[in-house]
Amino acid sequence: MNQENKVAALDAEAMSIKSVSLWRITWRRLFRRRSAVVGMIILGILVVIALTAQWIAPYDPLQVLIGIEPVKQRQAPCIHLFGCPEDQPQHIAGIDGNVRDEFSRLLYGTRVSLWIGLSTVTFAIVIGTILGALSGYFGGWVDNVIMRIMDVLLAFPSLLLAIAIVTVLGPGLTNALLAIGIVSIPSYARVVRASVLSVREMDYVSATRALGGSNFDILFRRILPNAMTPLIVQGTLGIATAILDAAALSFLGLGAQPPMPEWGSMLGSERNQVFTAPHLVFLPGFAIMLTVLSFNLLGDGLRDALDPRLAHNT
Amino acid sequence: MNKKLFALLSVLVLASMILVACGPKPTDAPATEAPMTEAPATEVPATEAPTAEPTPVPDVPIATYDGTTLSVPDCDYGGWFKSIEATDPSTVTFTLCKPDPAFIQKIAFSVFGIYPKEWLEATAGETGRTSEGLEKPVGTGPYMVSEWARGDSITFVANPNYWGAAPEAETLVFRWSTESAARLLELQAGTIDGFDNVGPDDFATIEGDSNLHLQIRPALNIFYVGMTNTFPPFDDVRVRQAVAMGIDRQRIVDTFYPRGSEVASHFTPCAIPNACEGEAWYEFDPEAGRALLAEAGYPDGFKTSLYYRDVVRGYLPQVGNVAQDIQAQLKENLNIDAEIVVMESGAFIEESAAGRLNGFHLLGWGADYPHVTNFLDYHFGKEVLQFGALDPSIYEPLIEGAQIADPVAAAPFYEQANNAIRELVPMVPIAHGGSAAAYRADVTNPQASPLTTELFAFSDPGGRDVFVWMQNAEPISMFCADETDGESLRACEQVIEALYGFEPNSAVPVPHLAESCVPNEDLTVWTCTLRQGVKFHDGSDFDSTDVVATFNMGLNIGAPTHVGNTNLWDYYAYLWGLMSKPGE
Repeated sequence: MNQENKVAALDAEAMSIKSVSLWRITWRRLFRRRSAVVGMIILGILVVIALTAQWIAPYDPLQVLIGIEPVKQRQAPCIHLFGCPEDQPQHIAGIDGNVRDEFSRLLYGTRVSLWIGLSTVTFAIVIGTILGALSGYFGGWVDNVIMRIMDVLLAFPSLLLAIAIVTVLGPGLTNALLAIGIVSIPSYARVVRASVLSVREMDYVSATRALGGSNFDILFRRILPNAMTPLIVQGTLGIATAILDAAALSFLGLGAQPPMPEWGSMLGSERNQVFTAPHLVFLPGFAIMLTVLSFNLLGDGLRDALDPRLAHNT
Repeated sequence: MNKKLFALLSVLVLASMILVACGPKPTDAPATEAPMTEAPATEVPATEAPTAEPTPVPDVPIATYDGTTLSVPDCDYGGWFKSIEATDPSTVTFTLCKPDPAFIQKIAFSVFGIYPKEWLEATAGETGRTSEGLEKPVGTGPYMVSEWARGDSITFVANPNYWGAAPEAETLVFRWSTESAARLLELQAGTIDGFDNVGPDDFATIEGDSNLHLQIRPALNIFYVGMTNTFPPFDDVRVRQAVAMGIDRQRIVDTFYPRGSEVASHFTPCAIPNACEGEAWYEFDPEAGRALLAEAGYPDGFKTSLYYRDVVRGYLPQVGNVAQDIQAQLKENLNIDAEIVVMESGAFIEESAAGRLNGFHLLGWGADYPHVTNFLDYHFGKEVLQFGALDPSIYEPLIEGAQIADPVAAAPFYEQANNAIRELVPMVPIAHGGSAAAYRADVTNPQASPLTTELFAFSDPGGRDVFVWMQNAEPISMFCADETDGESLRACEQVIEALYGFEPNSAVPVPHLAESCVPNEDLTVWTCTLRQGVKFHDGSDFDSTDVVATFNMGLNIGAPTHVGNTNLWDYYAYLWGLMSKPGE
């Protein structure tokens, strides 16, 4: 009894030490990569903007300023600090084609874009993980059926497939998210399947099986937690792709519908004004770029930090 | 590596700031000019394409022509003309298949200008007009084509034998430039005397310059928000009236339309006779609108859709923005949640015309000919399904009015129809999209015709010998019987005359080559008495056989002279119907 307790305590201690040190090492490695830090800083700022948009935005993003302020359609930015006359209302990013404050719309757009990225990737990860795990764990015909379906999905150019799905479901942000989620399932399913294949041969899995653990137990308690690492990297990079795809769909008028402040649709609706009112085309594009860049930098950093082969570098 | 990344990032941020700061103000806009280049009158009809589309099986001619009479055996071919006959040298009799109150307005269109019979035959090639026919048309107009330097200019000289008042300037020159800013520069430099399609942002400049004159062109088009009354809640007239009061139309015109546009008081633009009989549209009154909605059982508004096609027209220069503004106004003023649905153009026209759109639809119409029937009968006639089931109180007066050629006698019926439209609100008329021309201040009689038929013979360029006009584009050809392009038609109008024309700066027809055209009792036979002593540019005399030969050239697909530039004959087909039947 005493012995057993001791062993259990030791075991727990070992596990806690191990898990703490794994995350600590990951964090440490991540912080050593300056690109990842930059990514995290940008992302942090974007998250803060998204969470506090209603307090920091100077205007309601849907408010039409006709008759409220002396501003003109597609007016250039007016920043008091840079010499714009004080008697004119300040609009940091100018006025859009419907006489709304572009800056407020950009800020609220952060909220939409981050939500797009997180929700589609969460959806894709959940479905992809389940499919990949089943496929990798059971093998045989289950594996064959699931993976062939994934191959078919992968054979389409992802944006075209998304457009096809949205066309069938009808335009709209929810349908666009669903479409992007569906087209990104295969990459997660493949990643999870690969990790499951390698993890399921591990000794502790065999041990659990020998102890009579159920399939469910083995798969979700033993295998999946240990197969997560590549998924985190894939997911972070996948958010960037999802945001880009959603912006592309909205640009084409298939995603977010007006008047929702979505960067892609803001850019798309003013695309003919690129020489007349460059701020309306350039700023949403810049915002998309910044967001995608932050996720890509962070994803790259995470990949390096989580890669055991690079462990000796730290 | 990391340093490079930082550098790259900072360069990007800096570059973006510089670009935004140095970008031209939204006002220097060449991009917003596009819609204005469209001539309202000659624009291919907005909501209905011309019916003349080339068909794979060639059509079979059905007309007979003997030099004095053009006729078809029966009216089954669907066109307007039964026969056109030169009854004597100065009389032409047009026999129609159905009554047409707008006969004079249609015949006055410059596409139906009269050519000499011999010239039509001489310039007809095997498959198209000869270059002589395309570039040096012979007509009866105040000017004759002297030289067309392709890519540069067209020079006209005064017709010494002109039947009317001699042209003010001896020489007329047409030039072109696609940039409105470039046109304005030329005008300011004094190298041209006038130009068309003033850029939206140059209005103030021209008005502020005492050497220049801005001439606003009355708009002959309409943009409206349609509702199909077979779908609830639009089946309740109070809901439609609420919408009629709940949209601030002035704000839409002020923000999204070029100067020269106006808020629509009636569906038909007021430049057209009888268009604005009856009461003007509702004042903007959101409270009254909300009260009406509440009375109809929708105190909290309702959810619906707002359909449009992403196509720029003279009547709707900024489609997406106007749609979003209407959406915002419906929400703010009436608490109606309208989801925007952008449709493909063809599907949109088909669905809206069939009355299958459950919600609001944004559409417009440009005049084919300046007659009230071209607006009202096309939209509110008995057979029209676009707005659901139309009430007889709208279409019955229209049927009555279409039987009467005299505008004064027809006025009471159009008053009834307009009042019924206002009362029952099948749609909300929003705007007539306008444009403007600019002239040097010393040009007399400056013109900006609603039909873009400016006749420069009336204008004296401050005593100078040469009048230089600059438009958007070079004419495609000057054989305008077979053209639809407004820039081409304006050049032809200086040279070719039809039986009727239009008063300067108005849509009121005046006799040109005819002295008068008089209908019979039921408007099916129009007898035109021709002007005497008129000579063509080539010296030949004008008489009734030239009129019949011209219509034979345009309508009779079997005629050897039925060859033009495009060989589509869009306007002959659309306004009269080609004399043909489908091939087997």
